[in-house]
Amino acid sequence: MKHRTALRKGLIASSTAAALVVLAACGSGSPSSNGTKSSGGPVHGGNLVFANPQDAQSMDESTVFDNNSIWIIEQITQPLYTVTSNGKGVQPWLATGYTESANHLTYTFTLRKGVKFSTGKVMTSADVKFSLEQTMAASAGWGYIDAAIKSVGDPSPSTVVVNLKYPWAPLLADLSLFANGIVPAGYGGKTAAQFYQAPVGTGPFKWDYWHKGQGLKLVKNPFYWQPGLPYLNSVTWTDVPSDNTRELQVKGGQAQIDQFPAWSTVSALKSTPGVDMDLFNSTETNYLAFNENVKPFQDVHVRRAISLAINRNALVNAVLFGNGKPANSLFPPQVPYYDSSTPGYQYNLTQAKQQMAASSVPHGFTTTILIPSGNDDYATIATIVQNELKPLGIKINVQTLDPNTANANFQSLKYDMSLTLWTMDIPDPDELATFGLDPKSGAKSFFTDYDNPTVIQDVHKAEQITTPSVRQSLYNVVQTDAAQDAFMAFLYYSPYPYVTTSNVHAFDVTPLGNYHMQDVWISK
Amino acid sequence: MGRMTFVIRRLLLLVPTAIGVTIIAFFMIHLIPGDPARTILGIHATPKAIAILHRQWGLNRPLASQYWLFMDRLLHGNLGQSLYYNVPVAHLVTSRLPATLWLICYAAVIAVVISVPLAMIAASRKDAVRDHIVRAVPLLGLGMPAFWLALILQTELAVRFRLFPVTGYGSGVVGHLHSMFLPSLVVAIALCPVVIRSLRASMLNVLGAEFVTTARAKGVGSLRLFVRHVLRNAVIPAVTVLGINIGFLIGGTLIVEQVFAVPGIGSLMINSIFQRDFPVVQAIALVFGVMVVLVNLLTDVAYAALDPRVRFDR
Repeated sequence: MKHRTALRKGLIASSTAAALVVLAACGSGSPSSNGTKSSGGPVHGGNLVFANPQDAQSMDESTVFDNNSIWIIEQITQPLYTVTSNGKGVQPWLATGYTESANHLTYTFTLRKGVKFSTGKVMTSADVKFSLEQTMAASAGWGYIDAAIKSVGDPSPSTVVVNLKYPWAPLLADLSLFANGIVPAGYGGKTAAQFYQAPVGTGPFKWDYWHKGQGLKLVKNPFYWQPGLPYLNSVTWTDVPSDNTRELQVKGGQAQIDQFPAWSTVSALKSTPGVDMDLFNSTETNYLAFNENVKPFQDVHVRRAISLAINRNALVNAVLFGNGKPANSLFPPQVPYYDSSTPGYQYNLTQAKQQMAASSVPHGFTTTILIPSGNDDYATIATIVQNELKPLGIKINVQTLDPNTANANFQSLKYDMSLTLWTMDIPDPDELATFGLDPKSGAKSFFTDYDNPTVIQDVHKAEQITTPSVRQSLYNVVQTDAAQDAFMAFLYYSPYPYVTTSNVHAFDVTPLGNYHMQDVWISK
Repeated sequence: MGRMTFVIRRLLLLVPTAIGVTIIAFFMIHLIPGDPARTILGIHATPKAIAILHRQWGLNRPLASQYWLFMDRLLHGNLGQSLYYNVPVAHLVTSRLPATLWLICYAAVIAVVISVPLAMIAASRKDAVRDHIVRAVPLLGLGMPAFWLALILQTELAVRFRLFPVTGYGSGVVGHLHSMFLPSLVVAIALCPVVIRSLRASMLNVLGAEFVTTARAKGVGSLRLFVRHVLRNAVIPAVTVLGINIGFLIGGTLIVEQVFAVPGIGSLMINSIFQRDFPVVQAIALVFGVMVVLVNLLTDVAYAALDPRVRFDR
């Protein structure tokens, strides 16, 4: 008996190892296999999983600035107008149309009939008034986007009146921002904090759960106003920080969409069976910022020399593996009023040397470029810029700080040169122009302290003129002046890379980064 | 000293340890540059918006006052509110802790299951080929970067053969065993070499003892000899090694958590440091400190269970 017990104990160790493998491998089902492109029409059903590099931060639409949060919120709440698929205009959404007073100070919107919240409650003008007023009051959030609005009225359940302080050309674009999405009046009897733990809206999906750092799931809204939509039963956004892991998840069928795969993998993914690699037009523009509080960056010749010495094609090839375009303007091509003839400086070493010779530091100088740690793209750009400025006698030290500190130093103007980027929030250049060119806007001209009174005047003039051709002329001048001042070196325009499994259909991303998940379907 | 007195005394030592941890964690995270308000506001951070958030979070108060407030809340069982997620820190930590505990415990079990037979094989014939193989091959596990090994296992076992999910934590006990096998195996493979070497060395020592010679002379079979006489006596140093390594693993599983998207406390800690989410960093540092003390305590208690000769006052 004792001998048998000893033998049994002796076998435990080795057999447990095998048992663990078998038990683990036979566990909770195997992942589903990839589908293939179907030639049939849309079908209902299916649960789509996003693999996102970062978790959402907050669902409070009036205060959150994080894109991962914004793109989820847009599936829950909807504004009166929404961005068109080319990102250059708006189309009616919860409103069906509007009238404008002759003095351009009053806009009367007619609300779409039959729109209900995911609770089944009918949406009325009282909800719209409440929602807009909450965002207008968000002084640490998106309040500034509604700064031109004086008041909001709700004369009838299906009519909303927006009164402006002054004529405001970007009003419809501003109203299309997710932050102006409609929520139930009085937050449905909850406090704002309680409401945004599980927000309610009129969008195609409604709240299921959010396990922070793991995943956030939305399920189909049975009261959605677009007949027959959405197709999917649910959408889940999972938090997967590693590029490799996201790619493997899609290849392994554990996720259907990989948001932002590494640029180095784009080419291989284009020829990988079972997945589709999409590059969507975007408004992402990358810049090299100069701190004009630091010598010698007040000198326009220095800024121009640096701008001229950077080979943008080399950056596009090294960072984006050829999947982008050199930038010529502060504005990206997908923004209304972008001027393709803007004379943004391009690579020309001869002219760069001429500008340097005309500057206050003709023999060069030593400076630093600030980049956040862990950002391989920025590290590559910094190295290339470091080498390209050597012929001008400019010695660059790369200062790498942790992202939070780098961001704090950049925004406090404690840097010489730094890398930054912009993506549009609204289909109008006003937000970017004000942010980037008016040092009193709060962002200190993209944290460069660039201050050109003529440019500032034109930027604010363009806000209040509603005639498109006049706005175009003003923005052409603004883009030209900003380019000639070289307050930043405009580096490149980048697309949005997304990988989807081949059975995912109708997934489309606007140049602003928004996507409408109600149109997406998965073939069987 | 009795076992219970020993345990109570060690548990009381937790109090000054925890206070020390809170002081170090609080002041270190506040001393490094960076601002949670800027993280949340991003490029939209205006001085006005930053000031509003600072006032809302109490970050405009003197540092000592902020620490006092943190301790006051802690004594009332409140770990505060996450600045980034705007949810109670206790909820955030308790929702992420189980995944890390699963990872560590599962990895420890796998490490033991792999190490014990291999150490027995190696010690059974010192300097033989099998001894050299057992000593050399697991060292590869120590040298292999965790992210690389993880990638290989994911590509082969998850994507190619679809035996395991690429990532995740799973749900239910079977789901956890299934989903957490690959991440736990990666951790275990790094753990095995030190445990195997320690166990092998102890076994060789014990094999030279007189009682083993006596047992052999009495005709005890080699498997029985190893399991009943050698292993029990040799396991104590290995338990120490395992205990110390588990202590290191608490909070040190970050890379594995990231690669396998395991929603553990290590990745929460790193993200919270980057986001300057002060209350979360402070709470996790406290949890880590307490856990390390508890693991050491459990290791000490395990000695006595394995060897009745161990006295608690030594």
